[in-house]
Amino acid sequence: MSPARVLSAAAVSTALTVSASACATGDFSEATALDVWIMEGTSPGAEAFFSEVSAEFEQQTGATVNVQFVPWADAHNKFVTAIAGGTMPDVAEVGTTWTPEFAQAGALADLTDRVGDTSGYVPGLLEAGTFEDRRYGVPWYVGVRAILYRTDVFADLGLDQPRDWDELRETATTIAEETDDMVAFPVPGNAEYSLLPFVWGAGGHIASQSDRGVWTSGIDSSESRAGITYFTDLALADKVSTTGATTWQETDIQDNFADGNVAMAIMGSWSPKAILADNPDLEGKLGSFAIPGPEGGYSPSFLGGAHLSVFNDSDAPDLSWQFVELLTRDDYALRWAEETTYFPGKQQQIDTFTETADPVLRPFATQMTEAGRGVPVTPAYGKLQGEKVLQTMVQSILAGDASVEAAAIAAADDIEQTLNEDP
Amino acid sequence: MSRRLLTRPVATAPDRRRPVLVLPARLRQRARPWLLLAPALAVIGGLLCYPLGRVVWLSFQDYGLDNIVSGRPDYNGGANYLRLLSDPYLWSVALPNTIVFAVVAVCATVAFGTLVALLLRSLRPLWRTWVIGCVMVAWAMPAVTGTYVWIWIFDVDRGIVRQLLHALGLIGPEGVNWFTERLSFYAIVTLNIIHHGFPFVAVTVLAGLLTIPRELGEAALLDGATAWQRFWHVTVPTIRPVFAVVTILSTIWDFKVFAQVYLMPGGSGSNAEVLNFGVWSYVRSFAQQNYGMGSAIAVLLTLMLLAITVVYLRALFREEELR
Repeated sequence: MSPARVLSAAAVSTALTVSASACATGDFSEATALDVWIMEGTSPGAEAFFSEVSAEFEQQTGATVNVQFVPWADAHNKFVTAIAGGTMPDVAEVGTTWTPEFAQAGALADLTDRVGDTSGYVPGLLEAGTFEDRRYGVPWYVGVRAILYRTDVFADLGLDQPRDWDELRETATTIAEETDDMVAFPVPGNAEYSLLPFVWGAGGHIASQSDRGVWTSGIDSSESRAGITYFTDLALADKVSTTGATTWQETDIQDNFADGNVAMAIMGSWSPKAILADNPDLEGKLGSFAIPGPEGGYSPSFLGGAHLSVFNDSDAPDLSWQFVELLTRDDYALRWAEETTYFPGKQQQIDTFTETADPVLRPFATQMTEAGRGVPVTPAYGKLQGEKVLQTMVQSILAGDASVEAAAIAAADDIEQTLNEDP
Repeated sequence: MSRRLLTRPVATAPDRRRPVLVLPARLRQRARPWLLLAPALAVIGGLLCYPLGRVVWLSFQDYGLDNIVSGRPDYNGGANYLRLLSDPYLWSVALPNTIVFAVVAVCATVAFGTLVALLLRSLRPLWRTWVIGCVMVAWAMPAVTGTYVWIWIFDVDRGIVRQLLHALGLIGPEGVNWFTERLSFYAIVTLNIIHHGFPFVAVTVLAGLLTIPRELGEAALLDGATAWQRFWHVTVPTIRPVFAVVTILSTIWDFKVFAQVYLMPGGSGSNAEVLNFGVWSYVRSFAQQNYGMGSAIAVLLTLMLLAITVVYLRALFREEELR
């Protein structure tokens, strides 16, 4: 090695050391501000809540928090754009079905070692935040759907809460016959989570993965078809729904319920509060019960909600994690649950919350702990949702374009094709 | 001519002594128009060609969310186009939905707009201003707002159309869901598009109508031409270029209709038989994160529009030459 080379090598290594230490100090100085994205529309009081949390965080760590509220409807696109442009936040609330997708894309930080003991969390939600056995999302809050009904309508007609599918059908038929201009039990064509309890309750499933990683859809199994038939026949044979519901989304159910046009429907634990805000006249007229099973018991309902995730390109992963810990601390988790009427992400917090919460929320807690269920955990599930495979199936049956069998087989083909596609 | 006069002294004078300088001088002459055009070209290139080129580039890739994160391209040759063109959905649903709808909507919009323009021409100035004002309201309404108004009008349970038809005894108490059938779905979209599109046609055609000399119509009237004949043999040939512009623009707009379909119940994907090219491309790209396939659909739509525009313009200019 010539002297000149030695010299230049030394210069390069010095330069590297200098720049590396410059990076390190740079990290330290930049780490005084965290960018946090929170979904807008979950709670109207979110801003006050977060200014309080941020104040406490600044007191603890000296770091400021910039909370940005992102509407749910735009959120997925905004995340994707941010991932593409490298403008991701440090911490964000991520919808549970998106977490594996973003994790696979390499955008989320592996939190497995930080989370540590996971036994306290709601299992279904924890699983939803897992990709290839690593955890990328910490359960923050859980959303579950059960049946919300009008107690005044039930009282007028002398009806009790149905305990199995036959009773559910009879109750709905009675309401449809005895009331004018009221939808007894809407069967929406554009709301997958209203369908799934009946598929799952009948013993069917969306899709399962073999040991070799191949997905097989169970939506066309005889069990699933029995559930789909029961659900769509409520509209087609028993006439307890309305023609308009063929194209209804969940928001349409909620709007019509708030208008007083609906007697009972599958809705989320967050709906009663929103409905009462829209129509205070319904105060004291709302009741709920867990979705009954075919022969008693309960039908499973989808466990949704949100994770808190740390992004991979965060300058301050330690601080970010501290913020996640603060948000999921018992007192803040409970307050967030009270404000949003979603349930907290830890089982013990759920119990505390349910004791003090509005009685209308208790059956939702039962639904969650007794019969909550997740959709297949795979990065491709988001594509399946984007394709609206389940909605297409229900809508084509309700519109009379396809039989249950034909629609279910077509849906199963689509599901298998999408889930088995190379990412 | 003037160019040659200008260049000669510059080009010949140094020609004898220093031929090296000839080229820059000539180049400067050649470059001058391009230099003047440069700012405009840069803006067009940046705003138009770059995104267009990128869509074409994406359409030859299997581009998903992981590619966005890593920034790595993933070329798959023409696989997207092959899959697209061999997809029966393209031929049985997306293409007919796009083309048939566009043809119907363009004809209806131009016809209705022209009728309104003829009405406006025959009005006194005060009334004309008033009617144009009303027409402008329809034009000024944002597409999203207008679409929701039409959705409410046709609301299955409480819409005014349902109430009217029910009162007349034409439909039963269970009502009809207009949004699930392809034909009725597109009938509503067409109404929405005509409502939103006719003001432009009306105002543009009116401007054309006002340039036609009054004597032409009067001469035809003296020759015994009916109103129908005067319209087809005097008015239409005189302002043919106006009709051409209006038709081409309407065609382009109606081919790439998006919000008016996407926002309708079932129009965002749950009713597969009502998607058109624009919505299909969006759903493929953004709902399913298959950006390559979505881009291929968009490129196909662009090629179709280019072909239609070229055919239109050539037909127009040929007729101009014949006259």
